[in-house]
Order: sequence, then C-alpha cells, then structure tokens
Amino acid sequence: MALRLVMGNEAVAQGALAAGCDFFAGYPITPATEILEEMARLLPPRGGVFLQMEDELGAMAAVIGAAWGGARAMTATSGPGFTLMQEHIGYAAITQTPCVVVDAQRSGPSTGQPTLPSQGDVMQARFGTHGDRPALALTASSVRGAYDRTRLAFTLAERHRLPAVLLLDAVVSHMREPVDLPPPPPPARRTFAALPSGAPRFGPRAPFVPFGVGEPTVVTGLAHGPTGATGGGSGAFTADTLRAVGEALAADPDVAAAVEAYRTEDADLLLVAFGITARAAREAVDRLRREGTRAGLLDLGVLWPFPAAAVAQAAERARAVVVAELNLGQLTLAVEAAVAGRAPVYPLLRADGGLLEPEAISRFAQGAATGEARAAKEAMAGA
Amino acid sequence: MTSERDAVRIRLTGRGGQGIMLAGAILAEAAMRDERYVTETQEYGPEARLGATKADLVVANRPIAFPDVVRPDLLLCLSRPGYLKYGRGVAPGGLMVVDDRIAVEEDTTAEGAAVVRLPLRRTARELGDEIATNIVGLGALAALSDVVSEQALAAAVAARTKPEFADLNARAVAAGLALGREARRGGRSAAAS
Repeated sequence: MALRLVMGNEAVAQGALAAGCDFFAGYPITPATEILEEMARLLPPRGGVFLQMEDELGAMAAVIGAAWGGARAMTATSGPGFTLMQEHIGYAAITQTPCVVVDAQRSGPSTGQPTLPSQGDVMQARFGTHGDRPALALTASSVRGAYDRTRLAFTLAERHRLPAVLLLDAVVSHMREPVDLPPPPPPARRTFAALPSGAPRFGPRAPFVPFGVGEPTVVTGLAHGPTGATGGGSGAFTADTLRAVGEALAADPDVAAAVEAYRTEDADLLLVAFGITARAAREAVDRLRREGTRAGLLDLGVLWPFPAAAVAQAAERARAVVVAELNLGQLTLAVEAAVAGRAPVYPLLRADGGLLEPEAISRFAQGAATGEARAAKEAMAGA
Repeated sequence: MTSERDAVRIRLTGRGGQGIMLAGAILAEAAMRDERYVTETQEYGPEARLGATKADLVVANRPIAFPDVVRPDLLLCLSRPGYLKYGRGVAPGGLMVVDDRIAVEEDTTAEGAAVVRLPLRRTARELGDEIATNIVGLGALAALSDVVSEQALAAAVAARTKPEFADLNARAVAAGLALGREARRGGRSAAAS
C-alpha cells in the first residue's frame, strides 16, 4: 500500500478525476475552497477546464452548460453558495442534466460561522429548489469516503440524469487521514452516439446526448415533452419523468449500499448519524458496548433518497433510536417516518458550530435506552 | 474500531500565521511514516491572520473513530491567544510544551499535567527566522513525548515544506529535538519551575 496523507477536500478532487470529471466551475468559499484550488491545479494540465466564476449562480449555470457541451462537470461550495445554486439545481433537474454539486456544510444561517461545521443543509439538499424533483444527496464521514462518494455521485448523476449532491461538513472537508488512492486515470475522450431521428431526448429512459451530436436538441426550463418541445401535455410528461427518475433512484442498489452499518447485528439501541457526527457516534457505540449496552450505528452515506428500508429494518430490534445531527432536527423527521413507531426516536441536536462528542452521545443514548426520556432530555441540555 | 485505549491525543495551537495548520499536517505525516493510524483536523477563526488556531491529532495503533480532541494528552502552544482559546484542559498525566514567553496560569492544567516552558521562538530567531518556530516546537514535542520518531519527523518536515526553506527547517528540527532532549534529561518538573 502506498499511503498518502490526504485532506477530505483533496480526496473529493481525486475522486472527481477518477470519475472522469473534466470541468469545474466555482466560487471560493470556506470550507470548500481546497476543492476549487485542487481542481484549478489538476484539471488544466489534463486538458480539462477550470473556471472561477463571478458567483455561485454563475458557477452552477456554467456546470449545466458544460454538461450539455459533453463534459463531466462539477462545482463545490458551502451553505450560502448552495442556496444561490438552488435556482439552477432546479433547472438541472427539469432538463435532466447530469452534474455534481459538493456542499461542505458550515454553521449558518447566512454567513454564520464560516469556519465551523454544521449539518444544516439536509433539507436544503432535498427541498431547496421549488417544485418537486428527484433528489440525490450522499455524505461521507472519512477521507476515503469523500473519495468514494464523489465517484458514486458522478456515476449516479449520469445513470439517472440528475444533479447529484455530496454533503460534507467543515471537519470532514479539512480532515487529513492516510489513504491509499489509485492515481487518476489518464483523461479519456467521451464519445456519444447520435440518437435516431425522432427518438426521445427526455424522459426516464432517454439517454443523455449533449449538444453537437446528431440532431439539434431543445433544452428548456419550461415543462417539455420527449423532444424538448413545450406545450401539448408537457406538464404531465415532465411530472411523470421526474417521478419515474425518483423511483428508479430510490430502487438503485448503489444508493442502498451507501449506508454503513456498524455493530448493528444484535443492537437493541440504534444510533443514526452521518458525516463527522457518525465518527463520534461510532466511538459512542464502542463506549456503550464496553458498558454492556448493545448499541449499533447506521452511518448514513446517503440521505436522499432516504434509506428508509435500512433504518426500518435496524429499528425492528431496537428499544430506542437516537438520531444525532448538527442541526435542529432535519434528519430526525425522516428517521421518525421510517421507524414508524417501531421504537421511540430521540433526537440529539446541536447547531452552534460545535460538535457532538462521543461522551455526550453515549450518555444521551444510555438515557434513551433505559427509557428515561427525562434523563435523556437532561443529558441533551448538558451536551 | 476503537480509538480510546491506545490513542494519543495531541493539540497544536498558536495564532494565524505561525504555521499551526502546516505543523499539524507535518506531525500527521510523521505518524503515518511511523506506520501508525492518524487523523488530523483543524480549526481557525474567521481572521486571516493573528486569530487563534488549532490542529487536533489522534495517533493510535488502531483505526480512529472520533478525530476531534476534547482533552489533549500533548499540547504544543505557540501564542497567548492560542493558549487562552484552546490551551486549557490538558489531560491528567499529560504534557504541555509552551513557548517560554507565554504567560501560563498554573490552575489551567489538570492535576499531574507537566508544563515544559522552552525558548521556541527565540531558538527559531537565532536560527535565522522566527517563522520556523512551529518546526522547533514539533522537534521539542517529539523529543519529549516519543509520539513520532525523530527520523519520521525529519522526513515529514522535508516532504511538507518548500525546498527553499529546507536548510532552515532541518536546523529547526534538530534544534527542537535538542531542546526537548535537554528538558527531558533535566526532568519535566525542573523545566516547569
């Protein structure tokens, strides 16, 4: 093994190159800036394109344009920039444009505490743009995970023709760990086959064919039919397309495989977390086990589509479910819906820029496991 | 996966511009070269310069779960603002290495924690540039604690710093190691007085 000490944000850039990314547009923002810096360094010598745009609206627009130009395109930002990108993320959704957006979450809202971590963009990743659309949001709790999930984001974005989101946090983005990453493959030229005349350009099974290949394609943010033309039942076609894409995404085994179970086989106390909070929860599980409590963790490497089946299955055996997250209860809503009364769900929440530490999680979870809701609440107040 | 029993938790703190982020990466690189598990995280304020900064490391013989440091076993402190924001709460039996120009309140370290005051900044200045204080500090920390080997530290410094400063940094490592060894021979309590 050739171990190298790599930062989470550097691993994102390496994962993007491994996926064949050849276009990056962005605007610098803490704690995502190292991704932009790495892509600025790595892409041009490989014949790729790096653009620093005037802002995040321009960055997301450039990414969509590049995708329609035949590029594997991505951007990276943090919460405030992610908010500015929502308009165009909706455009990417309705135009079925494959692309990747990395959001290194920081404490908000607004400028907030730029250098401190948060997990406050869970719902923004799902519902940040208006209208209904299929949403894909992956997460990572390690440097290796940041690399793997970036690759997966490109794979799923292309397979399902949608904007894929990778939610990191300030700690994972800036964390260094020794990892053994393969060298990036040499840049490969993408080729696309022209569609037969009259074949659908849009729809759940229509392949993505960029501009300049075959007949002209109409791309519009208006509701459209299979050729891209508006009017005449296009509202129903667009709604059906987006719903079908969402269903295919939810059934994709690669999505379900992003959930990492840790010591859940015999667990009757289930912890659910992601990102840096899952690292703390992992240590909390070990502490609880040493104290004789059979605890286990689901580290959710995917948040949307929500892995409801995995959570429900693990909750079958649980006396209590604890959700730990760095916000005021965003993931908790989805966990409660998936658990559906199989066990009580106790949220452990923090949203001031600080972390939930292993001891706070294990103390809270112990209270939840013994059914002492009051003790759990007191533990949370002291966390 | 457990990180608790054999893990050493380390915190480096100073002010923005002193190279704390770089020092964290160097120490992590050294631990990796010693074939140990390591995580390194960092935190800094919104200030581009002069604000308090910290790097947290966990070094262990097994995979590490939680990378943040709550109570450091080893603390290297290069500035008063860093000490005030991040320099409290050294674990019992722990070790704090602090520049001798920084005022340290006696009641801020745990029972049984040793405080070693060393002329880190002055030594770097005498080598030609105070910018090398972080490297001197790493050398002292390594010699006092054995958290990384001297060879791995020297190699990590060479790998993670610019070639034009290679000579200065190599001398800074050596000077820091010498300071640490001397303090260790003299006993931590003597150095703390």
